[in-house]
Formats: sequence, C-alpha cells, structure tokens
Amino acid sequence: MSNITLGRYVPRDTFIHSLDPRVKIISLILLMVAIFISYSTWEMTFIMAGILGLFIFLLALISNTSFRLLFKSLRAMWFLIIFLLLINILIKPNNAEIIAFSIGSLDIYWESIFQSLKIIIRLFLMVSLTMILTTSTKPLDLTYALEWFMKPLKVIKFPTHEIAMTISIALRFIPTLLNEVERIMKAQTSRGVDFKHGKISSRFKAIISLIIPLFIASFQRAEELADSMEARGYDPKAKRTTYHKLRFSVNDLFVFILCGAFMAATIVFSVMNFTIKTPLFVPWLVIGCCLVLFYLFGLGAANARRYKK
Amino acid sequence: MKLKFNHVDFFYGTKAPYLFQALNDIDCEIKEKSFTCIVGHTGCGKSTLIQQLNGLLIPSKGSVFAGDFVVSSNKKERTKKLKPLRQKVGIVFQFSEYQLFENTVEEDVAFGPMNFGVKKEEALKIAHESLLKVGIGESFFKKSPFDLSGGERRRVAIAGIMAMQPEVIVLDEPTVGLDPRGVKEMMLLFKQLHEQGTTVVLVTHDMNLVYGYASDVIVMDHGKVVYQGGPHELFNRSVDEYSLETPLVTKLIQGLENKGYKFDLQKIAFIDDLVDEIVKQRRTSK
Repeated sequence: MSNITLGRYVPRDTFIHSLDPRVKIISLILLMVAIFISYSTWEMTFIMAGILGLFIFLLALISNTSFRLLFKSLRAMWFLIIFLLLINILIKPNNAEIIAFSIGSLDIYWESIFQSLKIIIRLFLMVSLTMILTTSTKPLDLTYALEWFMKPLKVIKFPTHEIAMTISIALRFIPTLLNEVERIMKAQTSRGVDFKHGKISSRFKAIISLIIPLFIASFQRAEELADSMEARGYDPKAKRTTYHKLRFSVNDLFVFILCGAFMAATIVFSVMNFTIKTPLFVPWLVIGCCLVLFYLFGLGAANARRYKK
Repeated sequence: MKLKFNHVDFFYGTKAPYLFQALNDIDCEIKEKSFTCIVGHTGCGKSTLIQQLNGLLIPSKGSVFAGDFVVSSNKKERTKKLKPLRQKVGIVFQFSEYQLFENTVEEDVAFGPMNFGVKKEEALKIAHESLLKVGIGESFFKKSPFDLSGGERRRVAIAGIMAMQPEVIVLDEPTVGLDPRGVKEMMLLFKQLHEQGTTVVLVTHDMNLVYGYASDVIVMDHGKVVYQGGPHELFNRSVDEYSLETPLVTKLIQGLENKGYKFDLQKIAFIDDLVDEIVKQRRTSK
C-alpha cells in the first residue's frame, strides 16, 4: 500500500511550499522541457543533465522532500530500466562506432549504453520534479491552479469548474478508497483469503473478493456524496468563490523567471550546438557527484528518522 | 482457546512520516469460553487490539498467544503459517455488510469454509445451517447479497464467519445501526454461540449490552488496558474513573438500593430481571 502513497503531500513550512501552485505547475513544465532538450554531443547531454540534477537536488533540499522517497521511486522503476537497457543494447544505433565490449558475437556499443542512460536519467529527473511538486503542494491547490489554467476555455462553454470539482473530489477520495481497500482485504483475509500466495486461480478469486465490494462501496459513496451536495444546494452553474485565493507574489515571479531562464539557456545551448571541449570523464564526474550527493542525503534522512525513534 | 497478550506494543506508520502508538504495553488475557467485552472510547486501540488476535497485524513489540499459535514481533518465535489461526479465530469487522461479493447469499457464506479446504457440498450445508442460525430464511439462499437490506447483509456476513466454525469469534461493533429488536436478536445469537462453547469477544460502546451479556470486561484507554475483570465489579466501582456510561440497570439498582431494596447482582442482567425481582420482593414482603 505504501507504494501508492509515494508523492503524497507533506505539510511543511518551506519556500517551495509557499509558492503559488500556478507558478509551480508552469515551472514544472518549463523544467521538463529543459530536461527533454537534446544536444549534439554526449558530453553536453550529460553535463546538462548533471546541472539539472544539481538544480533539482537543490529544489528537493529546499522543499524538504525526503530523499529516501526519491530513491524509492527510482527503485520502483527498476523493471523499466532493465527493459530499456536490453532494448537499447539489442538494437544497434545508426551512428554507433565505438564498441564498449562484446559478449560472444554480440557487440555492445557505448552509444547504446549512453542512450539508455540518458533516458533513465531523464525519467529520474522527471519523477523527482513531479514528486517535489506533489509533496510540496496541496492537491486542492493543484486543482485550483488547473481550474485557473482552464479559464480561457470558458469562452467555448467548456465546463472548467465541473472538471476541477471532479478532479478535487477524485483526489479527496484516493486515501478513503485506500483505507477501504485495506479494510476489505483484512476482512477477506479473516475469511481465509490469501492475497500474497497461492495458485493463479485462487489469486484471481482473491482479487475478485476485493474488487466487487470495493466497487459497490464506491458507487454507494458516490451516490451519498451527490445527494449530500445537492441537499446543501450545490449548483455547478452558480458563481463560486473560494476560501483560499491564489496570490502571485514577488517570490513567484522570481521562481518563474529563474525557471524560464533555465529553459531558455538549454534551448540556446542546444540550437547553437554549444559544446564544452572536455574529456569524457568530466560529465561522468558531475553525474557521479550528483548521485553520491543524493545518496548521502538519502542515508542522512533515513538515519535521522531512526534516531528519532 | 485461550488468548493471551504478552507486553504488546503496536505502532502505526513505522515506514511513513507519521508515527502513532496505538497499543502501549498490553498485557491481558481472554479466558477460554468466556464472553469478553472490550470497551473504550473511539481511537483507544480496540480495533487494533482485535486485529492482533488472528495475525492481521503483527505486534511491534511483544507477542500474542492464541492456543498453540504465537504471533510475535520476533520472527523466530512467530508461527510460520497463520492461515490456520484465521480459521480458529474468526473476526467480524465493523460494517461487515460491505465484504460480500458472491453471486448468491449461500455461496458467499460458503466462501470462508471453502478457503479452509472444506468441500463445496459440505460448505454449502454448513452455510445453510449458519444462515438459519442468524435468522436468514431459506428464501434468501439463492438471492444476490446486494438485493438484501443493510441489516440482512450484516447477518449474512456474520454467518460467513460462523460457517468457518471458529473457536473464538471476534465481533467489532456488530449491533451498530440495527433497530432495538435486531440488536436483541443478534445478542441472543451470540449468547447462544457462547453457550455452545465458542469464546465470544465483543467490541461495543453499549454498556447495557456489556452489563447484560459479558462474563469479562476489558476497558481500554489511550492504547492501554486500564481494567480487566467482571462487569459487576466494573460498574459498581465508580465508572467515572474510565468515563464510561453507567448501564440503565445499574442506575436503577443504585436508586432502588438507596430506598432500601437489596438485590443479588449475579441474577440480574436486564431490566426484565430487575422487574421480576422487584415484584418477587414486594410479594414476599407482603
């Protein structure tokens, strides 16, 4: 169950937490673009990945995101990583030249190793960024921000408020449903269902015994919620005010400009074929340092928790 | 089957940023063939406590002994296979009406015993018996459980646990939301089970039920056991100590005793008994 709660909002009082959710979403998009820009040489690709990694590392540090959780997300992707490595190694890239090593008659090129590494690093950076966003922003604030972004669509009678309401209700009920899953699992385990072991047929039956009650309960809950909303006079067409007003402050402007500049710089580097003439080990050093930093902080966080106990 | 807690601690969220101690040094015993009630305020750890009884939750510290089974925080001491324990200790959870899923009522009740290796025909037979015991008539057997009312579904869920023929049946607030008659029928069923030799563990907030049915009471407060013993001693002492409600019968008896009446508490479980007793005493005094 704990895997699903990966990236859950953690209430803290940090600079990143206090930012406007709209700015956070835009910054996320800007930085994602920066992550996905490609460069003409591998040195440049890895150096930029390293710099972005450092930047995201700083963000995680400021927002007090648990490094242990960030690493957990990496661990959750292990299957993808192995799959990518295999695919890239088996398919010979077009411009591959230098053979790293060969297993039997299979030649493995540096090119393909770099290629898969690039994808993995991009994925990790992306997941880290998203996690920083979700752990530092209340889900409700995110939906408010989304509603704000959809405002222009109102002109074509797009039901922005209804969609935002649907999203916020869905988000609100995720923990409730998880509790429900846990409760039903316990009840069925008491009736002798084994969710972890056993033959495929009995495992299938076990899943059925979980899903059907879950569905019934959620439909019932949805109906009750709809009734109670209606009983309190909810009208989707009515003009609504919100308890929390979204505010754009100087800090938000600063973050927006910083992220924008970051993205602009990456695009400029990419377009101008800007390269730094360095031996190949320099980008490796940058990435290595990043990983070590991440790891040490992860360990530090884990230890700090242990001491608290 | 005797159930024994040996210095049990339990923490929620050991892997999450929110750590919460739900049980604090629980050291108590549920006697074989007793009718034990567990009472206490919401959030005092009652539900956590009962989940330790069949290994759904493993203690963070200490161990639970259930017959020959050991559910311990220590992996070496812990019984390897906990599934047989779940047959011996059946737990009916709160809002158990939401755990039904089969096509028909009888199949749903037979689901439990079949999980423990009972053949289908045999399981259906046991299911029919259990259903009749909880007051679900034959006309319901082939119906879909989702066509039943809430109260009926709860009975079916209880029958589902009873069909496993456990030695201990644990009930987490089974009477919540039932009408007074339903409550009485349900309680009589549990009493009958108890008389047939099943150990009954009942979690409840209703002190009248505790007074009427319990042979033993465990009072919990903030994850600790603060009282363990008979119901009469509990309610005769000041219940304010644990801020529990006084049962109606106790209130009446105390009022009447102030007026000079004398009662044998062991004989009086319900208001009806008290009325009989008063009538009898008046007759003899005349």
